[in-house]
Amino acid sequence: MKVLDKDKIESFLNRLAEDADVFVPMQRGPQTGFYSWGTYDEDHDDLMLDILNVYIPPKNIMIPPHARMGENSNEPGDRIIFGIRSCDVRAIDLLDEVFLTQENEGRYYKEQRNKTILVASACYYPAPSCFCDSMGANPVEPASADVVIHDVGREGYVWESRSPKGAALTDTIADWLGEKEIIMPQIPHLSRGVDFEGVFARLLDYSDLPLWENYSEPCQTCAVCIYTCPTCNCFDLQAQTWRDQGYNFNCYETCMYRPQSLMKGLSNPRIAARERFRNRFLHKLQFFSERYGQPLCTGCGRCTVLCPAGIDIVKVITEIKEHQQPK
Amino acid sequence: MKEITNKIQEIATRLFNEDQVDVFLAWEQTGEEYRVKPYFARSAADVSNIVFNEYCIHNLSTSLLKFRDGSDRIGLVVKGCDSRGIVRLLEDLQIKRERLYIVGVPCTGMKDPLAAARNQSGFNNKMQTIDIARKCLDCIQPNPVIYDELIGPENPPLLQGERFAKVKEIENMSADERYQYFEDVLSTCIRCYACRQVCVACDCRTCIFDEMKPQWVGRETNVTDNMMYHIVRASHMAGRCIECGECERVCPVNIPLMLINQKLIKDVNDLFGPYEAGMQYVEGAKPALSRYDEKDPDDFL
Repeated sequence: MKVLDKDKIESFLNRLAEDADVFVPMQRGPQTGFYSWGTYDEDHDDLMLDILNVYIPPKNIMIPPHARMGENSNEPGDRIIFGIRSCDVRAIDLLDEVFLTQENEGRYYKEQRNKTILVASACYYPAPSCFCDSMGANPVEPASADVVIHDVGREGYVWESRSPKGAALTDTIADWLGEKEIIMPQIPHLSRGVDFEGVFARLLDYSDLPLWENYSEPCQTCAVCIYTCPTCNCFDLQAQTWRDQGYNFNCYETCMYRPQSLMKGLSNPRIAARERFRNRFLHKLQFFSERYGQPLCTGCGRCTVLCPAGIDIVKVITEIKEHQQPK
Repeated sequence: MKEITNKIQEIATRLFNEDQVDVFLAWEQTGEEYRVKPYFARSAADVSNIVFNEYCIHNLSTSLLKFRDGSDRIGLVVKGCDSRGIVRLLEDLQIKRERLYIVGVPCTGMKDPLAAARNQSGFNNKMQTIDIARKCLDCIQPNPVIYDELIGPENPPLLQGERFAKVKEIENMSADERYQYFEDVLSTCIRCYACRQVCVACDCRTCIFDEMKPQWVGRETNVTDNMMYHIVRASHMAGRCIECGECERVCPVNIPLMLINQKLIKDVNDLFGPYEAGMQYVEGAKPALSRYDEKDPDDFL
């Protein structure tokens, strides 16, 4: 098995950064996210390859929080997302569905995606908040990763290339990898789970569910769940003007706030918190499933951990499932 | 805590049986000890779900805004800071006092359920001990200032040491250092507006940040627009912030929002005071910056 020495990880990242922009999970000040290795500052940043998840999801790399329209903000050259977890890899797959399929092709997204190499890190110790295997991701087998690294403790990282892109990357760094026989850790068991089967069908007549009322009550419609979700991808078009100059740009948008559904004539179909709350879950569990055949959730657990009001998507899904069909 | 839970349940049952309230706001346990969430009980049958433990940190007075247009009579449980939030809403005429039945609980400091949830998740590298929440360490008013019924004896304030120590530290920086400091902390803002949503003092029906025509504050996530957002938010809070600390608690990127709020609390008190927002309810009273007094400083004119 090809093994990468743990002690050399920083110089290895330096090596990768020679040919590409490398994004790694870091603690930067009070924030954790994927940041470019080129901006790593020993005094302020901590490399966190052993953390399961970072708050700011990698969607911020694939879709920038704001970008001028008609201008290609993509940096030239390859980019590597290093140490991304299975749930977030799956999130990128779902973004691909949105931006690359069904004749809705995002030009800049496509360009960005084609030159992105995913070096995923297998999760052998998932957290109690994780439920990715219920949402179609396998914690140790990130489906569309180009390279998978397995943290095997003191022995280092087992390096496994999974795609032509990954093989090409492996060739360029072959002299960094040693050859060792390693007994792989056991496949983990996730303590949390939820059965999505039947939820989609149940939601086809969604409007009567009492849970929208019950669950939206504590919700402050604060949008922490949206901004930290690796799959939420709504964006808004805005203009920045100054005298006779200006430009249009797109930025993240959230269904938790009223302006998203504001229409001409100031009419707004989602004025109450309940309707906005319902829309978020329907988009994830029903509208998206209808269009792409899978739910827009990867079980990363960010929203369940960060929700200030303690709302839990697993409980919402379970409740929808258990709700009796009216006769 | 068990006695307080029992007492709250007892009061809620009585209120429903005597038909004094239509809804009772408290907390509900949804899993592990730290998994509590705000709960709206609507009948005596729901009362058994109510709990009160050291993770009931949420400010329930914010939830009153969901009822401001109705006529429901509301019972709710408040801690010291939350009760100041109620005074805030009463002063702003957002809700009528007659509609409220306030059950006060003197607070001994709460633990942060978010910190506990993070501990049990993949977001923390190491397990940390869950102590009293950071926001509670600055508490000057643990006892409810307005209530119909009080449960348990009053508690001393939790604040140890000087109140505005950190604010003074920032004040003593040079202008450049200070700018750098705020640029650093505000550049991380992802503009999720969670601080606005959980704030009880943010009771405007249409928020300046949601206005599209004209658009007052840009939506780009850069230092300029982030600073604009935070300056506008903070100055709207001047004389209104009741120091419940919810904004800082919910911030997913840990911006020290209470530091900015405290600076304004200090300044309002120095310039227009003595003034402390929401400390007592006097009918018709207005916050310091909502009224004019001839003695108000006007050196800037």
